[in-house]
Amino acid sequence: MNIAIKLLTSTKFAIAIIAVIIALAAFGTVYPGGDAIFGSWLFLPFIGLLALSTVTCSLTRIRPLWRAVTHPKLEVDDQFLQQLPYHTKLTGVAISQFKAHLKGFKWYESTSSETTFVFAQKGRIGRFGPYIAHFGVLILLLGVVIGAAFGQTNPYNDTITVIPVGGSQQVDGFVLRLDSFNVSYYDNGAVREYRAIVTIIDGNQVQTRDITINGPTNYKGLTFLLYGYDSQGVIESGKASWVAFQIKNDTGITLVWTGAAVTLLGIMLSLYISHKRVWIKLYKEQITLGAISNKNVVRFLKNIDNLCAKLEDHS
Amino acid sequence: MDIAAIERLGFEIALGAYLISSILFILYLSSKKRRLADMGFTLTAFGFAFQTLALITRWFYAGHPPWVNTYEVMSFFAWTVVGAYLVLNIRTDYKSVGTLVAPLAFATLGFASLQPSNPTPLIPALQSVWLLIHVPIVVVSYCALFIAFVASILFLFKDKQLSEQRTLKDKRLLKNRSTEAMRALSQEHTNILDKLSLTQLDDLAYRSVAVGFPLLTIGIITGAIWAEAAWGSYWSWDPKETWSLITWFVFLMYLHAKTQNWSSSLAAYIAAFGFISVICTFLGVAYVLPFLETYISVSTGLHSYAGGGDVAGTVFFCGIVGFVFLLLFMTRKKPPHASDTPLAEATPEVTQVD
Repeated sequence: MNIAIKLLTSTKFAIAIIAVIIALAAFGTVYPGGDAIFGSWLFLPFIGLLALSTVTCSLTRIRPLWRAVTHPKLEVDDQFLQQLPYHTKLTGVAISQFKAHLKGFKWYESTSSETTFVFAQKGRIGRFGPYIAHFGVLILLLGVVIGAAFGQTNPYNDTITVIPVGGSQQVDGFVLRLDSFNVSYYDNGAVREYRAIVTIIDGNQVQTRDITINGPTNYKGLTFLLYGYDSQGVIESGKASWVAFQIKNDTGITLVWTGAAVTLLGIMLSLYISHKRVWIKLYKEQITLGAISNKNVVRFLKNIDNLCAKLEDHS
Repeated sequence: MDIAAIERLGFEIALGAYLISSILFILYLSSKKRRLADMGFTLTAFGFAFQTLALITRWFYAGHPPWVNTYEVMSFFAWTVVGAYLVLNIRTDYKSVGTLVAPLAFATLGFASLQPSNPTPLIPALQSVWLLIHVPIVVVSYCALFIAFVASILFLFKDKQLSEQRTLKDKRLLKNRSTEAMRALSQEHTNILDKLSLTQLDDLAYRSVAVGFPLLTIGIITGAIWAEAAWGSYWSWDPKETWSLITWFVFLMYLHAKTQNWSSSLAAYIAAFGFISVICTFLGVAYVLPFLETYISVSTGLHSYAGGGDVAGTVFFCGIVGFVFLLLFMTRKKPPHASDTPLAEATPEVTQVD
C-alpha cells in the first residue's frame, strides 16, 4: 500500500503513464481500426491511473505547500540566507526603503532581542497553479464520466429524427415542427448555407427558431442539430422534402467546460505567476538579504540586485 | 493593378526573400561570417513586410480571414514563424536562430505556392465565429512550439560542441602544449552559437513552451466547443483531435520533466519530439492518413476539409519529419574513443592545466 501511494505521488510515474498514453493514442490513429482503442479497456485504465496519480499527488503536496506559504519561515539564520540564489550584506539601509520599492509584496515581521527578521513574498497563487490545473482536469473527467453514464437516461439522446417539411414530431413532451428548409449557394455553385426553420410548440409556448450547421438549438436540455436532408429532392426539384435532426442530451457538458476553464486558469497561473520571496535580517545596522523566485529567476534577481545597489548608493 | 495581383506580388517577393535569406544563412553556417547572418536577418524582415501586405490584401479581397484553405494556412503559419523570429530579436541577438527559421519559412511558403491559391468560399461547417478565434490561436501555438523546437535543437548542438571541445582540449594539451595549438583552440570557440549560452537556449525553449502550451490548450478547448456546435459532440477521437491531444500530452511531459532534476538535454529531446507531434497534427493527419486510408483503411475523420491526399503535401510532411530526425541524429554525442580520453599515465601537471 505504501509503495502504491509512493508510486502514485511520484511525478516520474505520472510522466511514464503519459508516455504510455501517447504511445497508445498514436497507435490508435495509425493502425487500421485502431480508433476502437479509445473506448477500450486497454486505454481507459491508463487515463484512470493518471487521474488517480493527479489526485494523490495533489493531495499529498497541497497541505505542506499551504503551510509553507501561509506560515513562512521568518527567523532564518545566515546559513539559510547564504544558500539562496541571491544574497548580500548591506549597511545603512532601512527596511522601510525596501518596503517602499518592492510593490505588491506581502510583508511579515518579527523582532527578537536585537535582531529584526523581515520576510516579503509575492505571487503565492502561482504555486497553486499546478494543483488548480489538476483539479480542473478532474472536474473535466467527471463531466465526461457523467455524460457517458447519465446521457443514456434520456431516451431521446443520441437519436436521429426525420421530419418532413411542414410536418412535426413529438419529442419529450413538446412538438417540433419543421416549417421550411433552405439551401443557398455561392456564385460558383458551392453551398453557402443550410437553414432549417422550426417551431417548438410546448403547450401554450410557441417559439420559432433557426437551425444551421454551426447553429444548433436547445430546448429543455435537448440539443437539436442539423444532421442530413433530402439531397435527392434538392437536386431534382430544388426542394427538400425532409430533414434529419440529431438530438443530443449531455448532462455532463457543463462540468466539461468548467473543468476545461479551471485547467486553463491553473496552467496560466503556474506558468505566468512567479513566487518571489525576500528575507531580510537586520542586526546592529547590518542587513543580510536573501532572495529567491521559482520562475523568471534571472530577471527578478537582477532587479533585487539593482535595488540593493541603488539603496546602498543613496545611503 | 488589381488587388489579387498585389497579393500575389507580395507573396512572391516574400518567397524570394526567404529563399535568398536561407542561402545567406547556409553560407553563414559554413563561413561563420557574422555579416551574412545580419544580411539574412534584414532580408527576412524585408520578406516579412511584403508577406504582411499580401495577407492583409488577401483578407480584404477574399472576404474572410486568410486561414481557410491550405494555401492560406501555410502562408499564415510561415508569417507567424518569421514574425516570432523578428520579435525575439528585439531584445536579444537571436539572429543565428534564422538558420532554421528562414529555410522553414521558405519551405512552408513554397509548399503553399503549390496549392490552389483561389480564395475558397466558406463551406457551412466553417461559418462560425470560432474560425476567427480557433485557427489563429492554434497556428500561433504551433509557431511557439516550433520556436521551442529550434531552441532545443540549438541547445543540443551547443551541448555537443562544448563536450567535443572539452575532449579535444584534453587531447591537444596532452600532445602539444605549444601556443599555436592553444590559439587554434580558441578560434574554434568562435562559432555560430557563440552569442547564445546553453542556459539562454534552455530558457528560450521553456518560454516558448510557456506561450505555446496554454495557446494549444485554448485551441483544443475552442475546437471542442466548435465541434459541439457543428457536429454535436465535443470530442470524437477524430485523428486531428487525437493528435492535438498527443501534442498536448508531450508538452505536458516536458513541463513535468522540468520540475525534476533531470538534464536539460532530456527536456530538449521531449520538445523536439513534441514538434514532430505538431507536424503530425498539422500536416500528417491531412497528408499521410489519406494514404493509409487508401491502402489499409484508416479513418481520416471529419477534419478532411483541411485539404489533403495530395502528393506535394505528403512529400512536404515527410521532408520536414525527415529533416527533424536528421537534426536529432546530428546532435547525438559520439562515444569517446579510448584514444580521445586523457591517458591515465598523464602527468598530474598536465591534467591540472584545464
